[in-house]
Order: sequence, then structure tokens, then C-alpha cells
Amino acid sequence: MPQTTIYVAPRLAGTLGTIPPAVATVELARLFGRSAALAGISLTVEMGRTVALLGPNGAGKTTLLRILATAIRPSYGSLSIDGIDALREPELVRGRAVYLPHATGHYDDLTADENLRFAATMFGWGQGESAEVCREALETVGLSEASGGRVGTFSAGMRKRLALARVLIARPSLLLLDEPHAALDGEGMALVDRLLGLWKEAGVTVMVASHQAERVTSLADATVRLEGGLLAEVSGAGVSAGPVGASQRPRMAVAGMDR
Amino acid sequence: MKTRILGFVALAAVIGAAINGLFLVPADLNQGDAQRIMYVHVASAWIAYASFGVTALAGLGYLIWRDLRLDALALAGAEVGVMFTAFAIWGGMMWGRPVWGVYWQWEDPRLTTTALLLALYVGYLLLRRLTDDPARRAARAAVVGLIAAVDIPIVHFSVIWWRGLHQGPTIGDPSKILHPSAPLLFVMALLAMLGAFTLVWVYLLIRRYQLARLDWQREDDVRRGRVEAARHVIVGATGAEEPAG
Amino acid sequence: MNDLRRGLAVALAIARKDAISELRGRQAAGSTLFFAALVLLLFGFALGPDAQRLADAAPGLLWLAIVFGGLLTVARLHQLEADDGAFEQLALYPIDRRAIYAGKALAGAAAMLVLGALLVPVVAILYAIPIGAAWLPLLVAVVLGAIGFAAVGTAYAGLTVRMRAREVMLPLLMLPVVAPLLLAAVQATSAALSGDPLGELGSWLQLLAAFDVIMLVVGAGTYAFLLED
Repeated sequence: MPQTTIYVAPRLAGTLGTIPPAVATVELARLFGRSAALAGISLTVEMGRTVALLGPNGAGKTTLLRILATAIRPSYGSLSIDGIDALREPELVRGRAVYLPHATGHYDDLTADENLRFAATMFGWGQGESAEVCREALETVGLSEASGGRVGTFSAGMRKRLALARVLIARPSLLLLDEPHAALDGEGMALVDRLLGLWKEAGVTVMVASHQAERVTSLADATVRLEGGLLAEVSGAGVSAGPVGASQRPRMAVAGMDR
Repeated sequence: MKTRILGFVALAAVIGAAINGLFLVPADLNQGDAQRIMYVHVASAWIAYASFGVTALAGLGYLIWRDLRLDALALAGAEVGVMFTAFAIWGGMMWGRPVWGVYWQWEDPRLTTTALLLALYVGYLLLRRLTDDPARRAARAAVVGLIAAVDIPIVHFSVIWWRGLHQGPTIGDPSKILHPSAPLLFVMALLAMLGAFTLVWVYLLIRRYQLARLDWQREDDVRRGRVEAARHVIVGATGAEEPAG
Repeated sequence: MNDLRRGLAVALAIARKDAISELRGRQAAGSTLFFAALVLLLFGFALGPDAQRLADAAPGLLWLAIVFGGLLTVARLHQLEADDGAFEQLALYPIDRRAIYAGKALAGAAAMLVLGALLVPVVAILYAIPIGAAWLPLLVAVVLGAIGFAAVGTAYAGLTVRMRAREVMLPLLMLPVVAPLLLAAVQATSAALSGDPLGELGSWLQLLAAFDVIMLVVGAGTYAFLLED
């Protein structure tokens, strides 16, 4: 088993020394054109928990993860990550919240090594350390030999592994994984499971959306099920759903046009 | 109510300034009656630039404070401004034909700059139309508005230098009207028209802004309605079980 | 100070990545150059065969070709990011977004500088323009023009890369804004080629430089807002 170092973001102090929740959303909603991908999610996740995010296609799992990653803004509602108001100060959230999307986001004309070294610079690794950090990450995901090849020639599984390597060289406090098992073979999926275990041990909060329900729920502390853009089920340790019932019209505020 | 009064006052002012410019003020010795168009052309042009300034500043304000009301103001400035810009160009062309013999002269800095202003406005409005999400639309529009606004002075200077090199015509120089030696009556007529146009501009801005706010509120109602509808689908489907949150 | 150094490192890393992609990327850069040269050829058909008329028009035609090629170039540099969703990743790193702008603008300026420099001999041959001692001021004009175009182009390409109708929106937004750049660059080129009889070369170059600085500042300041969704 290759050595795998997990880097974690420094803890932020909450008010009065309490630990803020990793994720706290209030009535999070998001529209795309006519359809509401999220119709009001109020969820709290304790720091250090691994949460399985389940639900059918179109339930809103990806949208929720993208909002938590600050990749997109919600249409309505509020959100805090590690106690930081993610809508007011998203730049403080970046780097702490690391997102593994469906699309792997690589540069096809660059080699795996060049892609990862670029990501290392973006994550703040200095020239000296980045070589070692990348080498270790590539070894962990099993791409050491292929690291000199152009990503454009990679299979979907290899691209996924490289994306995992990129997550490994980040220093997150919150990990948002969208279908990490997808496109991977049995060995690859076992790798993801092993990493999930390592992250949990290191105290990183993980939210993982997956169709591999059984795999993920066995590793997770809690399960959140989405349906039609709403919370259908919230169970397990360290997560709780918000107080608003569906019968009440939620108080949705948008900056500048408070009614 | 106050706006309606403003509207009537503006209308009266324009009629008054128009009568003044058309009939009361004497014609220019060189250009004849055609010169009267200048009162309208120059006044429109100034308002067109001022309106774009409003758009740019409101956009900047949006970027700083994220208040969508500022975006509504920016939109108002752009739509009202594009009208005045088109009007200014038309006036310039109408003036140019009898005086220069042609509709267009490249070396007239006001005409060329105003034509470019029109292109910038149109681009701005098209951009808005092609973006659905309100926040994204406001941000993109603000950026375009700012870049265009800083561009205008550069355009103006470059065209003036351009003209300076090629010794433009001095007869039929539209800026003659602003020359210190212009007859006082001409200057007064211009200022009167400018004042009237300013009133019209402010009136139109207010109305357009109010409309933009109403539009936004309607759009917001529709959006919230869609979110609401999505919530009730689930409640309906699972019956007794209310979804948490 | 540390922030500045970090920002610089990020910008350089981005510019370097773009440069490598350009050099390796399936001849896309070369195609753009060829397209621009083709445009110059076509101008010959449209305005020729009177050699004097072509020679008079040469500075303008050169810069029009640079502008058309430039539109393709800045669009392509942002398209690099759009292909695999890399843009979203880039926007999520813990980096100053002005550094992203700086890196992309640097890559854009470099690409356009190469484009412009290579088009000059094409113009010299097709329109029979002797360059001679004018090569230095010409180079300066190309450098300044490239920077200015990249400054605006990077911002607008970032804006339009995820839009519908982006192929038409980018030129539609850019062309009015770069009109003064075009004007100044052509005047400077013209002055340089004719030995600067009126002594205006310096003024035009200064105008170009002013355009560059203003647009770089505004571009850097507003780029971050374009990355949000």
C-alpha cells in the first residue's frame, strides 16, 4: 500500500470556542430556467462527518454539491461553510471546500504530471514541495507510470484517478465528491473506499453523492436522501434537517430586493 | 404623482425650447436654418453620454453592493440612452447633409464617437437579453458598461487627434456653436434645449426604472412560485409524510 | 508582498500552461495565423490591383487582420478551459482571481504578439511595403496593440465563454471597444512606415499605452465578477 498523506485545512475557531458546523444551509433553492433543481434545503452537517448523498437522477445532488463548493450561487437561501458566510465571503471558503465534479476538468494537451503540478501551484504548494506531493499522490492513485502521458489520451477511469490525485494534494476541511466511483473499475472503486476511510480518519468532512448506495452508506456516518430538489430523508449521526415544514412559505431573501 | 408633474413640465419645456429654437432665434449666417438642428443634436448627444454614465456608475454600484435596484437603474439608463443616441446621430446626419453635402463625415469627432456609443449601447442591451439568470446578467452587464464607459473618452481623444492631423473643415464645424464667440442667443437656445431634454431624460429614466423594478418583481414572483410548486409536488406524492425542510 | 509574489506565481503558471497548450494543441494557433494571412490575401483581391492603393491601405489592412486573428485567439484561450469543465475548477482554487486574469491576458498578449510579428512580413510582401528602419517602432506598436487587445479580449472572452451565441457576442462586444486601439495602431504604423514626417508617432504610441493601462486595470478589477455563477 503506497504511502498516502492526507492534508487538512487548519481548524477555524467558532464563536466562544465552539466548533461551527461544516455545512449549514437555510432554505437553499436554485432555479435553472424554469425548473427548480433545489426547492428549499435546510441542512446542518457536523464537522468531521462523512455523509452519503443519495437520490435519483435529477434530485438535485449535483446542484447541492456545486452550491456548497461555491461553484454556483443559490437563487434563494443562505449557506455557511465552517461558520463562514459562503455568500458574502466565498473566497474564504475556496480551498477549504474542495469539489470533485462529474467532468474531470483536466487540460487535454498537458500530461498528467503537468496537470497535477499546475493544480499544486494553484493550491499553494511551493516549487520545492510540489514535486514530492504530486509524486506521492500519483502513486496513491496508481498513475505513476502513466504520468508522462497526455491526458487527452487517457481513458475515463484514468482521468478519474487523476482527479482524485488532485483532490489528494488539496488541503480541504470539506470534501464534496460527485460520483467518485463512476468510470472506475473494481480496483479503482476500492481505492476510493480506502481514501474515504483515510479522510474520515483525518477528520475531513465529506459529502459524497453516489449511485453506489450500499458502498457509500456502509462507510458513512449519515445519509441524506434528496428527491425532486427537497430533503426526503435525513438519518444518522451528525446531520440534521432544518425546522421549516412544507406548509409554511419559506422566508426567502435575495439581496437588494427584500420585499 | 410627482413624476407625472415632472412629465408635464418636461413636455412643456421641450415645446418651449423647440419654438424658441425654430422660430424665435435668428438663423445662422453661414449654415442657415439647418443650424437649428444643432440645438437638438448637441443636447441629445450630451444626454446620451450622461445616460451612459448613469449605466456605468449604476453597474459599478451593483458590483460593490449587489443591489439589483442598481441594475434596474443601469438598464433604464441604457434603454433611454440608446434612444437619445440614435436621435443624436440622426440629427447629426440631417444637419450634415445640407451643410457638408454628405450624411457622414469621419472627422467629426462627435458623430463618430456617438456612432461608437450606439454600438456599445446595442452590445450592452443584447448581452442583457441573452442572459437569463438575474445575478449573472447584472454582473456581466456591469462589466461591459464599465469597460465601454472608460473606452468613450479614449475614443473621443483619438478621433480628435485623427482629425487634427488632416485639417478638418472649419466651415460647417458643429462645435462652432460652443465657441466662446458664438452669439449669446444661440448659446441660450442651446442651453434651453439642453435643460428641456434633461427634464425629459430624468422623467424617462424614472419611468423606465419603475418599470424595470416591476418587471423584476414579477420575474421574482414567478421564480419563487416555481420553487413553491416544486415543494408541493413532493408533499402531494408522499401524502401524510412531510419532507423535512 | 507575499500575496503579490503568490499572485505572480499563479499568473505565470496559468500563462505557461496556456502557452504549452497552444504549442501542443493540434495546430489551432497555426490555423489562426493562416486565416489572418488569408484575410490579407483576400484584401488584395478586394482592393487591388493598384499597388499604390494597396500600399496606402496596408497599415489598416495589417491591423484588421491582426484584429480578426486576435478574436479567434482570445476566444480559443478561454475555450481551452471550457472543454472539460476546467474553468469551473480554475475558479475554485484558493487564488486571487486577478491573477487568473493576468495569466490569461499575458498568454493572450504573447499569442497576439507572435501573430502580429508574423503578419508584418506578409504585408511587406503582398503590398510591397519596405520596412527597413521602421521595424523597431513597428514592433513597439505591435507589442502595445497586442497587450491592449488581450486586455479587453481576456475579459470579454471570459464573459462570453459560457454564453449562447458566444461566437457572435465576442466580436460584437469587442469591436467597438477596440476601435480606438485600431485607430491608434494604424496611425502609428503608418507614421513609422513613412518615416514619421509629422512627428506624431510618439503621441499615437502613448495613446496605445494609455489604452493598455486603463483596460488592464478595469479588466483585472472586473474579471472576478465574471467567474461567479
